[in-house]
This record gives sequence, structure tokens and C-alpha cells, in this order.
Amino acid sequence: MAPSLKSGEVNLGTTIMAVVYDGGVIIGADSRTTTGSYIANRVTDKLTKIHDRIYCCRSGSAADTQAVADIVHYYTQMYQVQHNAAPTTQVVASLFRELCYSNRNNLMAGIIVAGWDERVGPSVYSIPLGGSIHKQAYAIGGSGSSYIYGYCDANYKDHMNREEAIDFVKKAIALAMSRDGSSGGTIRLAVITEGGVERMFVPGNQLPTFYEG
Amino acid sequence: MHVRPSTHPTSQAKEAAFSPYEDHGGTNLAIAGPDYCLLASDTRQSNGYNINTRFAPKTFKLSNKSVLATAGCQPDCAMVTTRVKQSMLTYKHNHNKEMSTSAIAQMLSIMLYQRRFFPYYDFNILGGLDEDGKGCVYSYDAVGSYERVPCSAFGSASALIQPFLDNQVRNKNQLGKPKVTEFEPVTPLPLAEALRICKDSFTSATERDIYTGDYLQIFIITREGVEEQIHELKKD
Amino acid sequence: MDARIDLNNIGFDFDLTKRNAGLEANGATAPKATKTGTTIVGLLFKDGLVLGADTRATEGPIVADKNCEKIHYIAPNMYCCGAGTAADTEFTTNMISSQMELHRMSTGRESRVVTAMTLLKQYLFRHQGHISAALVLGGFDVTGPHLYTIYPHGSTDKLPYVTMGSGSLAAMSIFESRWRSDMERQEAIDLVKDAIEAGIFNDLGSGSNVDVCVIEKGKVDYLRNYARPNERAQKEQSYKFPRGTTAVLKTSIRDLVQVTEDTAMDIST
Repeated sequence: MAPSLKSGEVNLGTTIMAVVYDGGVIIGADSRTTTGSYIANRVTDKLTKIHDRIYCCRSGSAADTQAVADIVHYYTQMYQVQHNAAPTTQVVASLFRELCYSNRNNLMAGIIVAGWDERVGPSVYSIPLGGSIHKQAYAIGGSGSSYIYGYCDANYKDHMNREEAIDFVKKAIALAMSRDGSSGGTIRLAVITEGGVERMFVPGNQLPTFYEG
Repeated sequence: MHVRPSTHPTSQAKEAAFSPYEDHGGTNLAIAGPDYCLLASDTRQSNGYNINTRFAPKTFKLSNKSVLATAGCQPDCAMVTTRVKQSMLTYKHNHNKEMSTSAIAQMLSIMLYQRRFFPYYDFNILGGLDEDGKGCVYSYDAVGSYERVPCSAFGSASALIQPFLDNQVRNKNQLGKPKVTEFEPVTPLPLAEALRICKDSFTSATERDIYTGDYLQIFIITREGVEEQIHELKKD
Repeated sequence: MDARIDLNNIGFDFDLTKRNAGLEANGATAPKATKTGTTIVGLLFKDGLVLGADTRATEGPIVADKNCEKIHYIAPNMYCCGAGTAADTEFTTNMISSQMELHRMSTGRESRVVTAMTLLKQYLFRHQGHISAALVLGGFDVTGPHLYTIYPHGSTDKLPYVTMGSGSLAAMSIFESRWRSDMERQEAIDLVKDAIEAGIFNDLGSGSNVDVCVIEKGKVDYLRNYARPNERAQKEQSYKFPRGTTAVLKTSIRDLVQVTEDTAMDIST
């Protein structure tokens, strides 16, 4: 049976995104969490730290994605101690895939893993609902993503610089938020590079605007 | 193969269903005395855990001798009241006299039974004075079955109030109190005491029934006409 | 008696689930649990945080308890408001409270709010939403004041002001219009009281009185029935029954102990 949201469950009807650019990776998300039509949290942080330079973007059930992220966080902490080295983004993404695939009948979790590691530099993995894994140059996810496939395919370029990539993510998420009722609030961003992680925040009244009818 | 099954809420199958009935809560009470009739209702109109309004009267004066209390689905209650009033007016034009309470009672029963298979969601109590000037209370189910009773409680707190009335008005389970015979159409209670019991019924029901509260509307029907009182109830 | 705990026999007992499913298939209905259609809230202020709750417990449309306690003790520096099934909130908070006490004894340190939050979310997630406990957890530990909401399915949020339960929308409308950062203690208490009263008067699942709990660094004030905006009106008359009102249908007096005269037996040897 396909997993579905149980009644009263908290949903991350979401827009999430991750893009590789020259020198790093940008991740972004809206900030809305809903129970039915009620916004349970309007400033949610769906960008969750897994390791120093590896983050995940969560979509689907809040409870499921938090539980999975907490377990992977624990595994990577153990990995760090046992190997005395940071795990690669691929390792972390594989851990997510393993949990999401083996529990696919009980989970409602669409996750994007993004990070920077010594071996390959920046990388992005998408793990959608069935528990498959896809290495991509950029990934979008959540209910809002269906509105921006066209925009993203039209505007993505290889080898963007930092500013171009931030602009791309910001505009894509703002477009999704304006069309998808279960995405909204503010935009949260993170720039992950060799040098570390820089968090950014776009308030709801300073979002990029487009044609509004 | 679905690489990415949609997580969008509209993509999940949902049963579209409309129910023509809603319960808007509220409680009614009526006591028939030797020369009076007393009808009381709270004025809270609710839907689930929400209060639609704190003051929505659902008891209406029909004539100088009869009053109709309704409870259930508000639009159905309003429709029934309107139709009763219309028929009473037609009757008056045809016969040049006011309909008696017992005639209204019979008419209302027919009106409800006409909709036997798509009933009005409406539980009525008709109160007033009969042809002899005695108090009378007719209580109905939604499809028109009715009987004349000395006292009655209907609506969301009826299960709380009816046993109290049986004990205090009809003296059930009380040794040493005068017997009220089973088929007596009126209670021997003086008006002042009936009023006190009525108010205590509602303040107590408000304590324990979440759909009862806000204001208490009391109609007192006597030979002099219909008097209306409004009292406060708790608002939580 | 053997004082050891049988580790195969702890936690929930699911022995009767199959039997009950069979009974329900044949038309029986499961017993209804007392729900606390509730308003519970919490907010951070300058020196700590304030928790608030109404005091009504319901069983369907009937008020089961007019003055129940919904702010539960977790640790000396931590309290937790519960909404949902009364039994679930009571047992869940009790269990976490005892785990926190054992943890304090084992570590010799003051409890932290994240610890309780993590225990609660993992416990609720494990039971996949079948334990109906929606919680507002607040406490002041070595890292400062913390306020969390925990949903029955096990998701958590960390926010400066939160509401939960059926009255959460009414209460949140008060917070969204009047909450500011760095409020004074009394301002914060007043805002919490107003939020709970919004729930009490506008949500039928909430009612009666306002309980407040103020948690500051090294100090807790549990203000039980801080406001009582719903006192019962005076009754119109007395309903005292005179002696003899209840009919005596049958009288039967029996000797439960038989006293017999006999010489005492010597049992000293």
C-alpha cells in the first residue's frame, strides 16, 4: 500500500531545492508546515544539518522526516568517531536511501541530500517517496516543485557562480510559493562550501515578485 | 514506473460527499401548568467545537396562545416555523379566527410526516393554552409522531434535564410528595416554582453540556398573553 | 516475592487487540476515552517562559471534569501541557518524568529540555500517532529557556510562542496580534491568560478556569486557577431531599462476624 498522511498528521506541503554550482552547493526551502488548512509553523527550518558540510531538505510528513534525519545524524556521528573522518555526501545519501527504501511502506518522506566533501566536492542527491536515489546537478522536491519544473529547466546553467545560483534558487522557490497553497512563509537558504556553511533568510515581505495578475 | 509519486494533496483520492443535515445544538424545555405554559431555550448556535452565534433564538411566538420551540438543524427549524406561520395566517383568513393550539399541533404533525423520507432535522415542542385555558405541551419527533405531555426537554442537554424534570415536576421516585398521575396533561406546579426549576435546569445543563449556554430565553404563556424573558448563562 | 522485573512483560499489553477487532466487526463499539478538547499555550518572555492551560475535560458533548490539571510536572525546572486523550497525556508525561528523574540520579546534572523533547518524540513516533498526546513542553535549563510543541505523530517545533489543542486557533490569534520579544513577567502572564480565555470562550472543547505556570532560572511558579472567569451562578432553590424520600423496598441485616465465647488457646510454644 502506498504511504499516505494519517489524519491529523503534520505535513510539510513543501517546496525544497538544491543546486550544485562552481565551488559549492545552494539549498533552499520555504518555511510552511500545515495540519490540514492550518499553518502549524510559519517559520519552519526544513534545512536540517546532518554533518558539518552535509545538509538535508525535508518534505512529506514532519514526523517521518525528523525521525529519519535524527537517525542518519546519529549514524554520521558514529561514522566520524569510528573512521576519524567526515562521511561523504554519497555515504549520507545512501544512509537516507536505505532507511527510506526499507521502510517505504510506512514512510512519507521526500528528501534531498546536499553537501560538500573532500572526494568529489559539491554534490546533490534526491531521494523521492519510493526510496530510490538520484544524483543530480540540481534537485527540486515537495508539493510546490511541480509548479517550477519548467522554470528550473529553462534557467538552470552548468557552472553558475555563487550569486547566480542563489538568485536561481530564491526565484524558483518564490515562484512555487506563489502558486502552491501548502508552500509559503519565508525562504530559508544555505550555501555549503569547503569553507563551511552560510545560512541566509528572506522574509516573507522581501520575496522576489513576478506577474501577479 | 513512478520515480516521484506526487505528494500534492489533490492527487490523493478523496470522497466528495455532502450532508444536508447539520446539528446546531441547543436545548429546549417546556412545562405545562394548570393555567400557564412555560417554554425555555438557550440561544447558543454551534457547529462542532465552534460557536456560530451566542444569540440565535429558536423559540417563536405563533399567537397569543401558542409558542413553538425548535432544535436541530437551524435552516430546517426556520423552514418549519415559517410554514406553520403561513398556514396559520391562511387559516385565519379562511375562518376569521386564530388556530387553536391543538389544531396547530395536529397540523405540525402532518407537515412533518409529509417529509417522512427526507425529514426536517428538527425536534419541536409546541406549547400554549388549550381550549379550556389549561397549559399544554406537545412534543414531537422529527417525522411527526407527537403526544401531549406535562413537561418535556429536547435537544443537546435533554438527557441531562429530562430525568431532573421527571423527579422535580412529576415527583418521580420521591416518597412523601403528592402523586402526579401518569396521564395527567398538566403539572400542579405553581408558575413561580416552575420558573425556578426551569432556570436551574439550564444553569446546570450549561455546566455539563458544551452545546448549551450563552443566554436563556423564557416564554410564559398565560391568559394575559405571552411574556418573554432573557437571562444570562455561562459563556464557556 | 520475586522483585525482579519480567522484561517480556513491560509496556503495552496487546493481548486483546485481536479479540476486540472481532467484537467490533460484529457491531460492538470500543469504549470512548476522555478527550481534553483543550487550549494549551506557551510563550517565551525576557526572563523565562510561561505555560497556560484551560481546565475542561470532555467525553463527547459532556463535560467530564470542570477543573482538571493539564500542566504536568516533568522535572523541577520543566513542565508540559497536554492535549488529546487524557490518559495518554497523563501516562506519557508521567513516564518521561520518571525517566528524567532516573537520568538526573545517574548523571548528577540538572535535566535539559531537549532530553525530554527527544524522549517524547521518539516514544510518540514509535507508536505512529496511536498515542493521542499533543504537548507543549517548556523548561529552563543550563542552556536557557526552551519551548517546544510535540505532535502525536512525533514531530516537534521550537518556537517563541506556541498553542495546541482544539482552542489553538483562538489562542494563536491573540499571540499573533500581541506577542513581542522581551516582554516583562506580568505582561507575559496576562497575554497567556488572554490567550487561554480566548480558547475558553470561543472553543466549545475548552472551558472553566485558567492554569498558569511561570518558569524562570532556578524558579517555578505554578499558579493553579490563576483566573476563574466561569463561576457557577447561585441556584434558585434548594434540592435537599427530606429523610425518607427514597423508598425502602427490602431490609435485610446479616451478621458478617460470628462472635463465640471460648477459652483462649496458648500459642506461645
